[in-house]
Amino acid sequence: MALAVLSDVVKRYDGKLIVDHVNFNIQEGEIFGLLGPNGAGKSTTISMICGLLQADSGDIIIDGLSVRERPLEVKKRIGLVPQELALYENMTASDNVSFFGRLYGLRGQLLKERTWEALEFTGLSDRAKDKPSTFSGGMKRRLNIACAIMHRPRLIIMDEPTVGIDPQSRNHILESVKALNKMGSSVIYTSHYMEEVAAICDRVAIMDQGHIIACGTENELRERVAHEEKIVVKAAGITPALVNELGQHPRINRVEAVQDAIELYLPSSQSALQDILFIFSKHEGVIASLNIEEPDLETLFLSLTGRTLRD
Amino acid sequence: MNIWIIMGFELRRQLRSRTLLLNMFLLPLVLIFLLGASLSGVVGVQGADEIKPVRVAIVNSGGGGAEASAILTAFLESAEVKGLIIPVKTESREAAESGLRTSKYAYGVIVPPGFDQEVQSGKKANLEFILGRSHDDNRVAGTAFDNLLMELNYKQAAAVTLGPQALTATTAPAGKPGVVLGDLNNGGKTYSAAQFYAASMLLMFLMYSGLTVTASLFNDKENHTLFRIHSMPVKDSHLFIGKMLGVGLVSILQCLTIILLSDWLFGVYWGNRPGLLLLFCLLMIAASMTLGVLICLFSRTSATATNIISVLTIVMTFVSGGMAPLPDSWVNSAGAFTLNHWVQQAVIRMMLHSGLEQLLPNLWVMCFISVALFAAVIVSYRKVGYRG
Repeated sequence: MALAVLSDVVKRYDGKLIVDHVNFNIQEGEIFGLLGPNGAGKSTTISMICGLLQADSGDIIIDGLSVRERPLEVKKRIGLVPQELALYENMTASDNVSFFGRLYGLRGQLLKERTWEALEFTGLSDRAKDKPSTFSGGMKRRLNIACAIMHRPRLIIMDEPTVGIDPQSRNHILESVKALNKMGSSVIYTSHYMEEVAAICDRVAIMDQGHIIACGTENELRERVAHEEKIVVKAAGITPALVNELGQHPRINRVEAVQDAIELYLPSSQSALQDILFIFSKHEGVIASLNIEEPDLETLFLSLTGRTLRD
Repeated sequence: MNIWIIMGFELRRQLRSRTLLLNMFLLPLVLIFLLGASLSGVVGVQGADEIKPVRVAIVNSGGGGAEASAILTAFLESAEVKGLIIPVKTESREAAESGLRTSKYAYGVIVPPGFDQEVQSGKKANLEFILGRSHDDNRVAGTAFDNLLMELNYKQAAAVTLGPQALTATTAPAGKPGVVLGDLNNGGKTYSAAQFYAASMLLMFLMYSGLTVTASLFNDKENHTLFRIHSMPVKDSHLFIGKMLGVGLVSILQCLTIILLSDWLFGVYWGNRPGLLLLFCLLMIAASMTLGVLICLFSRTSATATNIISVLTIVMTFVSGGMAPLPDSWVNSAGAFTLNHWVQQAVIRMMLHSGLEQLLPNLWVMCFISVALFAAVIVSYRKVGYRG
């Protein structure tokens, strides 16, 4: 059953199309990834789902309620973890969580329990009386999450929650997302980190320049680029002439030079491997390693847009 | 309900800021103390010197000393004059003049023979005054005897016009003194430098509540908490009103603190109308906050809004005469266009026990200003809104 349905959603700023007829739905109990480079329109889409922005046209239905018609009712069902830290630095962690909890209608003992629960869940219960100004970046990110989940929303929206934090905190947050999902919340997770989305999401929509360019499970998306393999050759002595000759090979679709490596996209690695080694040898390139990689979401994005996610 | 939650949180948030507490509560008291103590000669009316009684030589040139004139005797024995004039019977003009030269007497009065009869019959009557060496004593005695002459002229006019029997009718009724020693400015109290600067600093710092509003509104934008709150089931108007009430309460606390502590610590007398004083302060807070909100809604950055409000506050305080009383000039006239002017004038008048009729015009002006600014805020808020 669909918890959220977006139908033909359009948003313009100053006449520029930011979200262009977007359609997707989020099933009850799933983690839905929204993947795309910066400026793809992910945050604008999220803002419209939360009722922060009104769509110019189209409709967004959350839990059977139209965001346009009943925004306050929809907002009660959503917990937003904004991309930027949204905390009161001079109030304690517990003050922050309980204030936002009150705004969601929690009171008395229930408020106390849920505040504690949210801090415990994010691993901050021992710092409940400390101010966020004394926290590390990762701890602030976790508090940012605690403030959005204490009312146990049906839909949690996380807008790039791992930007600029250490690997340990990132893992903690990813584990938290899975745990929240197991506890019954559906999650929309936006990121431009392909690995994160691939690791935790049941389904993924890839967004670029306001469009949804692909949507499905990771396997479904991979199948779309199954006809193409990727060979990564790490080598010394990579020259423009070498890259150029590889690019002109009839069995190689594309060539990307990345620092001390070359990425080759081709229908079948076996058919061209011999030729590739010969060209390297001809241009005196010294191969350090050669890996044949299965296609991933990055490959898919590249194949669909001709650009990488981090472009 | 969300309004009260947001108001309470805003209040706690403001009161937890040490900088804010120092600026809003301690700084005004320090300034009142420093300015009041150091500029006591600049403002207010100096306490009047105590009037020392003057020794006056009374010479009855017709013989019989001072008692020879019943009118003069009655005048000199009246309660008001007793404290000012000490009559000394003197035998002759020469003795009086000699006493004046040696400062035995400070003033001399020569009463001609038949003075009372001539006054009562409406004829020309003369009193001769001899000045002494002290200018002040001459002024005190001269003023006292001028009053006698005025009264006599009045009685003579009545006697000439209506006949001698009119003199009894013009006499002041028993028990009601002809002269009442009154106090200047209705309350008789002059304001001190501490009072002047207490009023001035109170108003200047209440104007800064506009700055607190700006800081609070921009703080939520810059912290992205406004964005988060907008994603919650909270109406925009509730958020805005809650924040305004929170800041308003802090300003009311500030106002009460300044008034009570300045009274307790420095003995600043705030007048006899505490209710009206608070009403004026509330109007000042409302006007300052709405002005701050207006500036905030149309400013792109916190720094721009803060600078505008700071400059406005200083300029308004100066132009309204809050830094030092201004002489009559165009600057003083321009003061009428400031918020401080109307409240400061009213507060000073309350300190001087002025009547309600002198305070009401200021009250109506402040009510008008507050309502106009409030209406402007509502219109602007509907157009611009408050968004992250």
